[in-house]
Amino acid sequence: MRANLAVQHSGERNGVVRFENVGVRYGSGPEILRDISFELEGGSFHFLTGPSGAGKTSLLKLMYLAQRPTRGLVRLFGRDVTVLKRPELPPLRRRIGVVFQDFRLINHLTALENVALPLRIAGAKKEQIEAHVTELLSWVGLSGQVNAKPPTLSDGEKQRVAIARAVIGRPSLLLADEPTGNIDLDQGLRILRLFEELNKIGTTVVIATHDRSLVSTFRRPELRLQGGDLTLHRPAPTGVDRLRRVDPLPGA
Amino acid sequence: MFHRSELQLNRDTARRFIPLMVAAMVYLATLALAGAVVVGATVDRWSEGLRGTLTVQLPGGRGDASVAETAARTDTAVSLLLETAGIATAQPVPASDLESLLEPWLGKGNLPADLPVPVLIDVTLDPGARIDLVALQRNLAGVVPGARVSDNGVYLERLVRLARSVQLVAGVVMLLVALAAVAIIVFATRAGLSMHRETIELLHLIGARDAYIARQFVTNALWHGLLGGIIGVVLAAATVAALGVIAGEVALPVAGLRLPEQLSISLVLWLAGGLLIPVVAGLVAMGTARLTVMRTLRQVL
Repeated sequence: MRANLAVQHSGERNGVVRFENVGVRYGSGPEILRDISFELEGGSFHFLTGPSGAGKTSLLKLMYLAQRPTRGLVRLFGRDVTVLKRPELPPLRRRIGVVFQDFRLINHLTALENVALPLRIAGAKKEQIEAHVTELLSWVGLSGQVNAKPPTLSDGEKQRVAIARAVIGRPSLLLADEPTGNIDLDQGLRILRLFEELNKIGTTVVIATHDRSLVSTFRRPELRLQGGDLTLHRPAPTGVDRLRRVDPLPGA
Repeated sequence: MFHRSELQLNRDTARRFIPLMVAAMVYLATLALAGAVVVGATVDRWSEGLRGTLTVQLPGGRGDASVAETAARTDTAVSLLLETAGIATAQPVPASDLESLLEPWLGKGNLPADLPVPVLIDVTLDPGARIDLVALQRNLAGVVPGARVSDNGVYLERLVRLARSVQLVAGVVMLLVALAAVAIIVFATRAGLSMHRETIELLHLIGARDAYIARQFVTNALWHGLLGGIIGVVLAAATVAALGVIAGEVALPVAGLRLPEQLSISLVLWLAGGLLIPVVAGLVAMGTARLTVMRTLRQVL
């Protein structure tokens, strides 16, 4: 099934992410992604799955503006990213929170400073930053490591710092590349619930994972990448699922 | 907390050479500038002393018998000069001054009595007056055979031309040194950008503007420029002071040419330069770094 399908929501909101016939290739190699078309409505929650090397990270990169498509149209928050001028990029990027697969923490900054970075860059006041960041760090279970630097943290702890940094600015779009890859199941569920909380207040969430148990536990629609094509899979509705499907945001 | 910059450019060991390079550049530029200032001041002083003056030289007589004769010829020449329109004063240089001018070559008190020492007459002109030197020379030679007129203005003009050339060269040296310093900053900034490529990409992805990233390079460059500037100026001042001391030990026999006075630059000027040069170095480094960062980052997504 070719993935030319809008994710079915009420459709009243403009798509936060919209791809039309997007193709990506590196150099003269084969297309990593080809003819990808889909739309993510505001407030939606999707898993992005697929075998390693299927292009999950490339797809996310297109969404967090680290890469431009080789062809096709990518729209974010209603803006065509291929024609964005350079000064227009930062405001857009500040609305996007990203959990990178390799964390990308700055090693000489403390956990607190790393998490505070998006706020600092956006020009927030120091006092506000610190209280806010400390609270979030304790939420992800790192209250004891506030002043620790990444090299002294375990992979799981680094991952949670990276997650805290991605969500600290209450992004409109949250993109996570294997966010539970290095943490135990309990922590993973906790992190996913944090994402759900954000989703409830309107954040559009896309989580790339190959953790099947996560996908089946949370019963969210799944964008599946395989051989450069994208298909949408919905979980079979269950009684619980129907109840959870009540849209948290009126009019959304 | 929160004071740390993300790039920590001041921790890059490769960047530590920058203040030293800037210091070397500032040192050379300051020496060139000091040279230009000294030459300029010297020329001014010479100009003041020599503008509107002539020197008339009469052949000296031999032996005791000629003393009276020489005096008579001097008087004749002086009165002719004073009668000439445009000449304000005509003053024979005292014999003692002449002897002291010859001292370096003959030694003190070794002047033989029968040495035909020429008579020199210092002539000053009325301000703005123009004298027909050829006619004056002919008239003088008519009354005192062998009299010669030399226009100090000609020497002065040549000296001024030489001095201006020296100043021009100093200017070119300063310009080249400044360009070299700018090139160093450009290379260092580009190296820093590529060394911290990953962090910079991260900063971009979480919404940093180019200016935010540039600020870290700019702060670093300002500091390097100021530090290098201060070191360079201090070393240059020490060098010029040392040259002044060495020059002070040289006694030039020519009246009005005292080296120490000419080599030393006034304290006020040093203070002004000492403040201004590092600031200029800092600002140039800052502007260069910012321009380099902004232009380089324009090429990334």
